[in-house]
Amino acid sequence: MKAQSLEGLLKDGDRVAVSNITGREASNVSYISQVYCNNIVAGWSLGKAGRTINVPGGRDIPVFGQFDQLMTQLPDDRKPNKVVVYSPPEAVYGDVKEAIEHGKGYIDTIYVITENVSVEVTAKLRRLCDLDDFDIVGCNTLGVINAHDGVRIGAVGGDSPAESFAPGSACVISNSGNMVNTIASYLQSAGLGISYGIATGKDPLILTPLKELLPLAERDPRTRLVVLYVEPGGMYESDALEIARQSGFTKPILVFVAGSFAEGLEISLGHAGAVANGGCTSASAKMKLFDDYFGLEVFDPLKQKETAERLAETRKGLRVNTLHDLVPAAATLISAMEWESDMTPKSPLVLRPWLGNLGWLSGKAPAHLVPHIDTIPEPYGSLVKKYIHSGLGRTTSRQPMRNASHASSNDGVTPRIWGYSTLKLMESRSFVESVLLYWLGKPVDNPFESRLVEMCLIASLTNGPGTISAQGAKLAASAGNEPNTALMATLGAIGAVHGGNGKKSAKLLIDIFANSGLTDPYNRDHGIDLDELAVGFVSKFKKSKSAAKEAGVDYRKVPCLGHPIFNKDTVNYDPRERVINNYMEDKGLYNIFFDFYHRLAQELFNQQATNKVHAVNVDAAIACVLMGIAWPRLVDKQITVERALDLPFLIFALGRVAGGAGEYLDHREYGTDMDMRVPVSECRTLGRAKD
Amino acid sequence: MSLRVGELGFLKELAGRFQIPAPEFVVEPVAQSIVKDRLEKWGSGIIKPDVLTGKRGKAGVIRTVTDYREAVRMLKQVAATEVSGQQPRTAYMVQAVPADMEVFSAITYSSRTLGPTMTISLQGGMDIESVGEAGKVSIPVGIFRGLNAYEASEALSHLGMEGQLNAKLARALVGQWDMFSSTGMLSCEINPWRVTHDGGVYACDFKATFDGNNRKSHDLGIRWPEYPTNETSFEEEMKAWATSSYQGQAHVSDLGGKKILPILFGGGASTIIIETLNQLGGDPIFLSDFGGNPPYDRMKQTAAICFKHHLARASLLLILGGKANNTRIDVTFAAIGDALQEWVDENGPLQIPVVVGRGGPGLVQGFGHLKKTLDNLGMPYVFFGPDSPITMVAAYAAELASLVADIESPEEQENVAS
Repeated sequence: MKAQSLEGLLKDGDRVAVSNITGREASNVSYISQVYCNNIVAGWSLGKAGRTINVPGGRDIPVFGQFDQLMTQLPDDRKPNKVVVYSPPEAVYGDVKEAIEHGKGYIDTIYVITENVSVEVTAKLRRLCDLDDFDIVGCNTLGVINAHDGVRIGAVGGDSPAESFAPGSACVISNSGNMVNTIASYLQSAGLGISYGIATGKDPLILTPLKELLPLAERDPRTRLVVLYVEPGGMYESDALEIARQSGFTKPILVFVAGSFAEGLEISLGHAGAVANGGCTSASAKMKLFDDYFGLEVFDPLKQKETAERLAETRKGLRVNTLHDLVPAAATLISAMEWESDMTPKSPLVLRPWLGNLGWLSGKAPAHLVPHIDTIPEPYGSLVKKYIHSGLGRTTSRQPMRNASHASSNDGVTPRIWGYSTLKLMESRSFVESVLLYWLGKPVDNPFESRLVEMCLIASLTNGPGTISAQGAKLAASAGNEPNTALMATLGAIGAVHGGNGKKSAKLLIDIFANSGLTDPYNRDHGIDLDELAVGFVSKFKKSKSAAKEAGVDYRKVPCLGHPIFNKDTVNYDPRERVINNYMEDKGLYNIFFDFYHRLAQELFNQQATNKVHAVNVDAAIACVLMGIAWPRLVDKQITVERALDLPFLIFALGRVAGGAGEYLDHREYGTDMDMRVPVSECRTLGRAKD
Repeated sequence: MSLRVGELGFLKELAGRFQIPAPEFVVEPVAQSIVKDRLEKWGSGIIKPDVLTGKRGKAGVIRTVTDYREAVRMLKQVAATEVSGQQPRTAYMVQAVPADMEVFSAITYSSRTLGPTMTISLQGGMDIESVGEAGKVSIPVGIFRGLNAYEASEALSHLGMEGQLNAKLARALVGQWDMFSSTGMLSCEINPWRVTHDGGVYACDFKATFDGNNRKSHDLGIRWPEYPTNETSFEEEMKAWATSSYQGQAHVSDLGGKKILPILFGGGASTIIIETLNQLGGDPIFLSDFGGNPPYDRMKQTAAICFKHHLARASLLLILGGKANNTRIDVTFAAIGDALQEWVDENGPLQIPVVVGRGGPGLVQGFGHLKKTLDNLGMPYVFFGPDSPITMVAAYAAELASLVADIESPEEQENVAS
């Protein structure tokens, strides 16, 4: 190999170029690597020249069209000395050839991450690199990490490499990248950190075989031991141990050999390279190879003392039977070699259940099988609290949705909404019921709910021609536009300020009731002390209001209380809210959110935060109606909080866009062209002419 | 995917194309008159099953015939006789080549030289593993330059073969290399080459594996016959599904177990998990690897296939992998949860426990989705994060599965559940 020690594979100061960098995997991994260690100087991708991958918190990565352009255009001190190949299998040979041709004198190591490269091409890559004195790692490698220098190539360590790879003295070598990560995490429990993590690749031909890596580990001053994950297939270990014997390899080895269960079965294991084919290539043959080399039987966690005594004499290493035995085996090795630990051992390897409910099995399972949930480590603990244990709303998973929908389908015969035939909906359900089905995923539970929403829609239709949403429709008509433009203009003229208060109101209700234990908002016997909630809220509100006033900044107002017209009395009401409230009272219905809102308005007055009892306005009424419908679905985690928050605004927008249509039709038929124009004489100039 | 080819495929499609000397042959079904004609010309023939078996499983059914009536009968009989549990595709009769000598030759990629290597022995007709080191020679072949006749001749001389025969066989070995490198093979064995007393050389048995990743193996213009396989319907369905897309892995092998249905992620992780389950009596039903960041649809269908074939008889569902580098846990777990929900919708309630262990992007959201599904279905569950070692989770699952399997009566479970 060109590399003389492990540092030659990767060290601080190495400059990395990435092929096909705009591809999905390459760009994701490069981004994380750049944030971690900033060692990528450039990438190349056919047809993508001139682009830049922006890396907030790291150095942006320029993209070139081809590798020769990258080499010509980068200044000498930025030219790469490592190349990472992420190209599709068909392009790998060409990319490596180019790297050799144009990178001579600069590049020393090429990493091939691509999988499904043919064995013939793989062999050719090694030969090409041998001829021109390049090192090559792969194919199908996850990469390499140098924990002391805090640098990596490829995806070793996943999204948070520093988490598993604390600097230390163990060099982990594995064909499986995931096992490099797993073993590094395990070793921390034995007080061992990592010098290097090397994923050699999972293909039948491993181009950086163990026999070439062991001499590098021997020469690496930071490596005290080598930890191996071994699968069936190939003569790699047999060759390496032969060389270790001949050259007097001095560093102990810990090894786990997997795959003995597959012997006698004609199956290949998960990795393409793990196909046993006789000789010293089966798992059991490899186990014997190591046991012979070590001069010790496989490690038994119950015999650590005896093993440590023997190990102090042999000093060659140990084989373990299960992966988690690596931890006591490493501790035994440290004691036998009389080493200091690399670090304080992290918490021991034990099972730590995060979520558990054994249901019917609880009574039958012995105590040690019943999960006892302890503290979940951060950042997961907070996330579990937020996404799983928080009382309200579901979480969703993301996927490409271009041609997919939960909400609608069409089998060529019947269009459906959440599985319900639109034809049947037409026959037996109202428009409002169908819209609520579309938005919520299930039909509404109570007939009165759709009636209440219908009232909300009617209330939203208009607040007179002067509202800016009506003005939008009128402007479109005045300009001679078609109806669709008028509808867009209406929608374009509503937003966070005009119509958006419903969302703020819904947010307020969710914040207040999230941890109240409320399940049925229509049940009067809810057992919640609403006055206490209102008093608490108003006290906090007053404090933040006076603090904001003192600081001279705007304070956050209570949403949906007050009305510009209905504000003359000591106790005020919005007549549209009254209609909804009266309907509910007539029908003997109860909605806890209405109840709370009125108590809140009263309490604000009681505590002199307001000088009158403000009207609970129609926006609050819409929010209360929609939260009544959404609440059981939030409790049952059928819908997200975000969806619930959007409902009041959507209802307002739906009603108002119909109102906008009314304004448009009226204005188009009776208005004159351009009548919305403000004459120049009425326009005021606030600046002055500058030329 | 690697494609294997036996002697009949070689005789029909490859020998002529690469000018490798080989005996004549006829394939069942064949007219009696043709059989009679060939046997009159050849003197005797050998009847073999067209089956792909490892090692020398065919030996027991091979018949030498001289009489054409017997040959016709034997062709039908051999075609219908299972070899090592496999049904032959057909049978064929090949010209018997009387030989003074048998030679072994094989080309494969060597993990030692990291390139192709040809192994030659003059003790052909037997397993190469049983030939001592002195009786065989291995020569590395330049991956760019290929094998030339001089190198082949040198190797044969090393084994003691000289003169005309050396030259003739060396040319035949070059032909074998040409075939190997031109068709994208992973390995190719001719055992034996039979050498007649007058110096004729014939390739008399053959097996090869093509590298599915090598374009050359797809571009041969040959439609290889389909052999009956020992694959279970589960393996077959998953294989077809796996080849339908390159996005994400869908690799399974039935292990014949009866307790744990394992949905596993990561090649290395799946191996050590199955190893642990096996050691501790978890009795896994199959080996699986579903990593590689499968999209939602891919993962859902993959899980649905597993559930369709094995969920009804499993004692425990294990969803386990290490800390993923790229695979999105929220997407994969949502897909598994949805597939499980659909299975229950179709097949009725299920009460087996589900043990989950995973780490990676979108982990908690993925746990949230799966937990909700399991809560809805009333299935017992335990979730472990990346701070629990996967082999310990596997050990826990093995013990829990054994407990469930020991609770014999499903009625008893129902009583407890209600």
